[in-house]
Amino acid sequence: MTANFLDREATIAPPGYNRFLVPPAALAVHLSIGQLYAFSTFNLPLSRLIGLSKSAPGDWTLAQLGWIFSIAILVLGMSAALFGRWVETAGPRKAMFVAALCFGGGFLVSALGIAEHQIWLLYLGYGALGGCGLGIGYISPVSTLIKWFPDRPGMATGMAIMGFGGGALIAAPLSIFLMDHFKTQTSNGVLEAFIVMGIVYFVYMSIGALAVRVPAADWKPEGWIPSAHPRKLVTSSNVSVDAAWRTPQFWLLWGVLCMNVTAGIGVLGQASPMIQEMFTGRVTPAAAAGFVGLISLFNMGGRFVWASVSDYIGRRATYMVFFVLGMILYALVPTTGRLGSITLFVSAFAIILSMYGGGFATIPAYLRDIFGTMHVGAIHGRVLAAWAAAGVLGPVLVNYIRQSQIDHGVPKAQAYSVTMYIMCALLFVGFLCNFLMRPVSERRHYVEADAAALAAGSSK
Amino acid sequence: MMMLRFVVLWLLAGLPLIWGISKTLQNALKLFQ
Repeated sequence: MTANFLDREATIAPPGYNRFLVPPAALAVHLSIGQLYAFSTFNLPLSRLIGLSKSAPGDWTLAQLGWIFSIAILVLGMSAALFGRWVETAGPRKAMFVAALCFGGGFLVSALGIAEHQIWLLYLGYGALGGCGLGIGYISPVSTLIKWFPDRPGMATGMAIMGFGGGALIAAPLSIFLMDHFKTQTSNGVLEAFIVMGIVYFVYMSIGALAVRVPAADWKPEGWIPSAHPRKLVTSSNVSVDAAWRTPQFWLLWGVLCMNVTAGIGVLGQASPMIQEMFTGRVTPAAAAGFVGLISLFNMGGRFVWASVSDYIGRRATYMVFFVLGMILYALVPTTGRLGSITLFVSAFAIILSMYGGGFATIPAYLRDIFGTMHVGAIHGRVLAAWAAAGVLGPVLVNYIRQSQIDHGVPKAQAYSVTMYIMCALLFVGFLCNFLMRPVSERRHYVEADAAALAAGSSK
Repeated sequence: MMMLRFVVLWLLAGLPLIWGISKTLQNALKLFQ
């Protein structure tokens, strides 16, 4: 009975169903898993489980704890790629529920690790199990939303993926509140915070799973007629996931996402020290934290705004804006430092980070335009591996080049200049990938008769 | 019934987000103080 209830068939919406009931279901999942970006709030308390006020012998080091986030990101990319096809066949409710079990369960296994002081349980819990929840949860509502909003796929997926950006804005103050609430003379409250968050996120994501519905196969928005002359890069055919990743278009889009994310993610991780070092003595650590918060807001808002804009100007044009405007802004950043203009510096990074978020949110609709709706969730899962690659490349570029500059006697305030110009070069590579995008060759299109013949052949 | 469901779901998704945004904005204002 449970299996039936979770199946795709059980989630088909009745006639007259309001499609705007689906985005909040997707948001419930993305707002939860977006907690990932606020995981660093736990790092310091986890490094003081024994010493409480400061690290004591036997306490975990920050380097050891850093692996939890890295494993989670890595498993996110891998599970999105591996389980994408399963998510498509199982349907959004089952996928969201499995994501809720993995993500909530990851917190609880980690809580056991904290209680027993066994770090491998945190790697296994939040890193591996939670990472699976992140990957499955991230892709689970995407194709459903695209099917509900064929007239506005960018806006619909942008709304959900905005939740991933907003999740950290909720999780950071929530984690601090919970740790303060449970703090005693013998505990810093992190164990109890993990248990509560595991349960809260499981329940919240399960509500999303219960609320989600898929449209009937022949459903169309009322009064909507597909354009007789769609844009050149918008297909009305489908490409299967296995055929898609053998096309140059898949790898060009992989490059587009990877370059856009690399340029943003390195800055996001180093935003606080960067503004303090570029404006020495003028920006306090508290103000730098405010800067991080501000660009996080733009990262979140950009997801909805840019993805919605892409419905009007087209996906390729939207990424052209990201790459060209991004190159101009990155090239201007060292000048804002030399001018001593904090306002210009903050404005430049606010726009850059809005385009970083926009890149994530626009990619599902771009994939739908190029490969059709049939396997868009699974293809999206495979493209997300670019995120994992960028997650390594971006911070490494920013940190190592900065250090190399300082080692060569460059003042700290100017140590980021070379990095900014390298970001321009990366964005230029992304620009080229986007520029080269063409429709997929017709011989790659999915034909029902071919698939049936293939299935009959393989069953013999 | 559909309207009630619409309101409840959007409140469930929107209220935590608004709370998170307001907390973030409080911090962000420190940048300009």
